[in-house]
Amino acid sequence: MSRLRWQLAWWLIRAQFLTRRTATALAMLAIALGVALGYAIHLINAAALADFSQAMKSVQGEPDAVLAAKDNAARVPLALINEIARDPAVAIVAPVIETRVRVDHAAGHTADQAAIHPGAPVKLIGLDIFSAAAVMPGLLPRQDGGSIFEDGVHASPALLARLQLKVGAGVTLTRGAARWRTRIVGELPAARPGDLLLVADIAWVQARFGPPDAVSEGRLRLMPGTRPASWRESWSGRLPAGLTLRAAADDTQRVSNISRAYRVNLNVLALVALLTGAFLVFATQLTAVAQRSTQFALLGVLGLSPRMRLLQVLFEGLAIGVPGAALGLALGYGLALAFTRVMGGDLGGGFFSGSTPVIAASLLPSLGFFALGCAASLAGALYPAWLNRVQPLAQALKTGFAQRPPAVHGLRQRPRRTLLIAIVLLALAALGLTRLPALYELPLAGYGAIALVLVLGIAAAPLVTQIVFGAFARRALSAPQRVAVQNIVQAPLMAQVAASGLIVSFALTVSMVTMVSSFRLAVDQWLDTVLPAPLYVRSKGMPLPQELLAALDQPAAPFARIERTAHGALSLDPQRPAVVLLVREMRRADAAARLPFSGPVVAVAADRVVVWISEAMQELYRLAPGQTLRLPLLGREVDTVIGGVWRDYSRQFGAVVIAAADYLALGGHFEVSDLALWPRRGEEAAAKAWLAAHAAGYGLDIAESSEIRALSLSIFDKSFAVTYALEAAAMLIGLFGLAVTLAASVWLRARELATLSALGFDRAMLTRAVMFEGALIAGIGLGIGLACGIAIGAILTHVVNPQAFHWRMELTIPWLQVLLGAALTLAAGVIASRFAARLATRLPAAQVLASAQ
Amino acid sequence: MLTISHLSKRHPNAARAVFDELAFAVAAGEIVALVGESGVGKSTLLNCIAGLEPADRGAILIGREAQDIVRLDESARAALRAASIGFVFQAFHVLPTLTVAQNIAVPLLLSGVAPGEHQARIEALLARVGLAGFAQRWPPSLSGGELQRVAIARALVHRPALILADEPTGNLDPRTADEVLALLLERVREEHASALIVTHSQHVAQRCDRILTLTPEGLA
Repeated sequence: MSRLRWQLAWWLIRAQFLTRRTATALAMLAIALGVALGYAIHLINAAALADFSQAMKSVQGEPDAVLAAKDNAARVPLALINEIARDPAVAIVAPVIETRVRVDHAAGHTADQAAIHPGAPVKLIGLDIFSAAAVMPGLLPRQDGGSIFEDGVHASPALLARLQLKVGAGVTLTRGAARWRTRIVGELPAARPGDLLLVADIAWVQARFGPPDAVSEGRLRLMPGTRPASWRESWSGRLPAGLTLRAAADDTQRVSNISRAYRVNLNVLALVALLTGAFLVFATQLTAVAQRSTQFALLGVLGLSPRMRLLQVLFEGLAIGVPGAALGLALGYGLALAFTRVMGGDLGGGFFSGSTPVIAASLLPSLGFFALGCAASLAGALYPAWLNRVQPLAQALKTGFAQRPPAVHGLRQRPRRTLLIAIVLLALAALGLTRLPALYELPLAGYGAIALVLVLGIAAAPLVTQIVFGAFARRALSAPQRVAVQNIVQAPLMAQVAASGLIVSFALTVSMVTMVSSFRLAVDQWLDTVLPAPLYVRSKGMPLPQELLAALDQPAAPFARIERTAHGALSLDPQRPAVVLLVREMRRADAAARLPFSGPVVAVAADRVVVWISEAMQELYRLAPGQTLRLPLLGREVDTVIGGVWRDYSRQFGAVVIAAADYLALGGHFEVSDLALWPRRGEEAAAKAWLAAHAAGYGLDIAESSEIRALSLSIFDKSFAVTYALEAAAMLIGLFGLAVTLAASVWLRARELATLSALGFDRAMLTRAVMFEGALIAGIGLGIGLACGIAIGAILTHVVNPQAFHWRMELTIPWLQVLLGAALTLAAGVIASRFAARLATRLPAAQVLASAQ
Repeated sequence: MLTISHLSKRHPNAARAVFDELAFAVAAGEIVALVGESGVGKSTLLNCIAGLEPADRGAILIGREAQDIVRLDESARAALRAASIGFVFQAFHVLPTLTVAQNIAVPLLLSGVAPGEHQARIEALLARVGLAGFAQRWPPSLSGGELQRVAIARALVHRPALILADEPTGNLDPRTADEVLALLLERVREEHASALIVTHSQHVAQRCDRILTLTPEGLA
């Protein structure tokens, strides 16, 4: 395109922006919002992952391989470490013991609650100074002269600050029954600012927290020239059962996988925001094309080619998209900065809580999001641009915008039967997509089905309009009603555009309300089953204090029943998060009463070990009841039988329950971390007081089931707060689309309305006609939107949630909420059409009739 | 220069042709009035000449190159209009969001006239249509007569071979109409262009070099 054509294009773009400031600015803002949300999610997550990776490197160093047990209760024998160290391909092996301890002041009191959060135990790492220097230099203590590891522990600066202690202070370290008084003998200068760490000599830790002949991990450096993957492969067959050799990168990959489905879900929400932006560009550009059809026709007559008329509207779309996307990048960056300052690196899914990431923009992703914003804007301008290209010039110059453009390049107006066939095919395709399994463990086909349902709704609008208004037109109507109905029938494009906005926005709103309502009800019912006891005690990541457990066994303890649970972690796949192992004090026969099974409970022979797996574990590892499952338990592979599948909304990556008796029979050590307590009848208050007295100073979580329920539901509601905000934004955009297109429709019919006015329609009748038209269009949009919304709600509930998060639930449609929402939207639509009605009656009829255009 | 031969046009589903085997020519520097009753096909003929409606048969040769607009595709027709045809409409059709100078510059931009020439041409034409000093004015602030002068300037600025005018004075009062018509004829003759003016006004027709009357049976 020549420079001269560019100049003309620029004049027209500038004129368009100056004359339609509000609509253009809103469309630009909507694009910016979509880009900002997506970009912020990307920045926060990338920063959190980088932070996590840095933290891993700080604690773990950069080994070529990590030798560890698949079951966190198991250990790596020192003999094996020594054997591997003798391999000529191995440069060095750094044995490590990792455990968690509670830190008390030497006086015996737990650190002040304000200084260190109770229930948040500190990581204690035992290492061999010489091998650690080669593999994990970040964990080396400060060498202030004398022996590096004197008899004591080294603390990270962050931990010292939290504890308000200085080097030399005395502390007591407690883990279960093991308790040791010691001294902080130095700092860890290379520890990261947020790390809460204690480091000690491996022999010191082994001697106090055991076991003496094994370690948690062996971190290896290989000789130069050795390929880590091949070396790991060569050893994996020779390792004892229950042990694994993994790449250090697997840890980062695993953490990335943890949040992937959640991130994709958030990105889909951002995409929805971007799509609403594209719709606003569409509505803005369509009305702009309609209102300027005479001007474009004139330019066409003067020699502006059809291609240039198409390009002009695309340029205008791009002129909205480019600043919108640029603004979106800036907003997204600011949003990410603000978010990480306030909330850290966790996006709400709880996957990165505690991280303190540094937001850093990089070129390629920024360009990608910028391009996405521009593409959304261009997509919105595409159909208006095509309409502008095919407008018949002579007719448009004389009578304005043609809502039914003539056939172009062999494309004919589609007959009703073709439309019906297209709708049926779309419905079948959507149904087919819902039957497909997850792709790359993401519900991509489900998202595709949702998009098809929305397309289906929009495609069905003309047919529904024809059927409904065809029937309407045959009835006896008042003059304003007749005008409204005739206009919808005669000017279908504007009516369909207005209805489409409402179809999409109301469908998304209904679907989210339906999904959230179904989910909330399911969680509510699930909490009933999983919280049968009135009181709960929990110690995060550590065994409960022996004193408390011993006191609970005394007859004086005011409890009728106590159920103990221990937690463990089993690594079934190095690239997946570990499965939670719940060792629960329960009888096999009571399983059905104690777990919320979602399917049949299989009877298992008494000589076999039975386990009950969660739905997430069933789906992630493709397991079934009755199947034999080999689990890495207590340092060996144990064949178990799956006795049933239970519903679990709290552990997204799977959980497996084993009866404590079975676990003990396998040789396990039952380190209780959770208690479910049933106070004796009439002694509820005394039981709480007893518990408060006996648990004081241990930093335990004590809660009544009603508190846990309220907290769980409150967290649930908060996690969907963003969704509600997006729903509200979608509805506002839908209503804005209705108002804009109605206004454009009225503008296009100014002369017709003026003629009606001259023929005897007064201002009130014209207002009623336009508002009735708005109500009819809103009614059609809401009706189709409701149907699509329920379908999408079902897809979200039955396809997306199970595939993305492994949460299954029944579909519950909150009819009262949905119908109330529809009624409110209809009322808002009628109010929005008043804006168009005012436009219709603002100009004196005589002036409109006398005007040339 | 305009040469029409064997031109036929029938609207889809119409019982009879709008015109059939039409033939006439307008020489360079000649101004021809096209008159006829309403509905006889004057506007359709004008649209066919401008390439805005397809003709069924025949040839319409335009400009010094004698390009047949009937044989051209849509883009080439647009290019031919940009280079060789100037338009004046009854409804003025001046773009309200561009200044007077920008409106007049549109054909210059579309026909690729060197940017260095634009200002001089626009200012000269504005002076010749009596609108000197109006370059930066916005159309909504102009009267009907002034708008039609802007349209005349726009029709002539790129020095087209053919001017097509559809009721150019139809929306003006008699005195302004007279002034505008005089201006149009004078400028067309000055540019040595051909002009075809569709009009219902005998007064306008009488002032042209030749009158063609379109009837259902053809040209008279």
